[in-house]
Amino acid sequence: MRKLFDIIAGNAVPAIFIIISAFAIPLSGYSASYLIQELLTRIGRNSFLILSLLIPIMAGMGLNFGMVLGAMAGQIGLLFVSDWGVVGIPGMVLAMLLGTPIAIILGIFCGNILNRAKGREMVTSYILGFFINGVYQLFVLYLMGWVIPVTNPSLLLSRGYGVRNAVSLLGIRGVLDNLIPTIVAGADRAKNFINMQGSGTFMALQIPCFDGEVRIPLATFLLIALFCVFIIWFRKTKLGQDMRAIGQDQSVADSAGIAVNRTRVIAIVISTVLACIGQVIYLQNMGTLNTYNSHDQTGMFSIAALLIGGASVSKASITNVFVGVILFHLMFIVAPVAGKNLIGDAQIGEYFRVFVSYGIIAIALVLHAWKRNREAEASRRSLRGNSNANREGE
Amino acid sequence: MFVRFVKFLIRWIERLVLLAALILLGAWLFYIGREHQIFLDNRTNEDFRALSQVNVSINGGEVSELTSRERDVKKIVGPKFTIKAEIFDERGEIAKTVEREIKLCPLSKDIMINLPTLAAESENFILAAPR
Repeated sequence: MRKLFDIIAGNAVPAIFIIISAFAIPLSGYSASYLIQELLTRIGRNSFLILSLLIPIMAGMGLNFGMVLGAMAGQIGLLFVSDWGVVGIPGMVLAMLLGTPIAIILGIFCGNILNRAKGREMVTSYILGFFINGVYQLFVLYLMGWVIPVTNPSLLLSRGYGVRNAVSLLGIRGVLDNLIPTIVAGADRAKNFINMQGSGTFMALQIPCFDGEVRIPLATFLLIALFCVFIIWFRKTKLGQDMRAIGQDQSVADSAGIAVNRTRVIAIVISTVLACIGQVIYLQNMGTLNTYNSHDQTGMFSIAALLIGGASVSKASITNVFVGVILFHLMFIVAPVAGKNLIGDAQIGEYFRVFVSYGIIAIALVLHAWKRNREAEASRRSLRGNSNANREGE
Repeated sequence: MFVRFVKFLIRWIERLVLLAALILLGAWLFYIGREHQIFLDNRTNEDFRALSQVNVSINGGEVSELTSRERDVKKIVGPKFTIKAEIFDERGEIAKTVEREIKLCPLSKDIMINLPTLAAESENFILAAPR
């Protein structure tokens, strides 16, 4: 009975989302090909960012709300690339390359602060995100165009310094997603696609009874797969094992000779750098950089998706990432239209989605705290039980 | 003590080599990925008169038809490009075809090509881009 309760409690969040989606999908009236297309796009767009959360969880640092620091670093890289007019894959890689040292510095800063706030990493990293946001705004709003030269006038505000609120990333829009054009379609549509692509590198899969057309961001998926392989490999390395040991018990890991603080800083640095790369991938898909807001919701959305995938503050896997991104974004796609079709107002669906999504974060955090307290209580009881048994033995 | 110093030195040399490699990679990406605007100018200058009609294509792309006193702009990516200009006479027949490969300075952003100068196969056909 207790085991069954544990299984239900462990998978309650994804189960709720699956049930809600099962009702919302038919209500939305969307076709299967549309839903699959939207989901594939969003998986490609968001997975890298969510995967960047796994390493700090492994090191027992909880959900890294400080990933927004990496997102800001990526955006600074993109701003420079936009100013210099570097486009295509070179532009995207250059933005990652420029953002990486900034992300490393911010990661070291964040890791050292989190080492001074052990046990309260999540709230500390959340507030740290706000603090660095202030520094980012100072940099982007005042220093760029004034201290840091910006040659492209379309990036600057009319006063001559400070970056505009919306920056077009047309030069790198979809460059990774469309690097290897891939389509799954019915025979006619696939033939049209093949004719359009000509002699370039592309993939077309024909499904005879399928009427729709689904474009797959294959290069993005390959990059995400590579990252998954990296995480699996990383877990088996000495550093990965150290992180797992720290995640289980810091004092035991310290006694075993593991440099706990240093390893924790490395975990945050890796996460921040990966978030920087993830943000560049995310924005190349979007094609527009919202200078002052794009990074704001990155942490919250990624963490919500991971928790919805069945992860907890102390345990998360690659499966949780993909289940989470599918369920979370399925709600994004279907909830407004389902609400409109059900009640006649799209806002209701959107309110419902926001309410459920962020309510889930709260529930997941409360469940985690409750479970931790229960485990602590159980271990205290077992210790008392042992001491009582010892006394009885004497 | 000496072994530790050597190990320390080797580690720093490795880091510096990696840093240098990343900087070089960044510079190479900047060089190959930079977008340039090429302004095509068919106006009379001090030495040559505007052409009555010229068709210009860059890197074998879309053809721009420019008559006298007209300008157009094209975008290219990378440090070099090929320009092909077909100059028409008064009867509307191709009188001359000029094809040149142009290499850009890595730090220059945009350039302007004066087509009458290019058609005359004179060297000073690259001008500063209008601001």
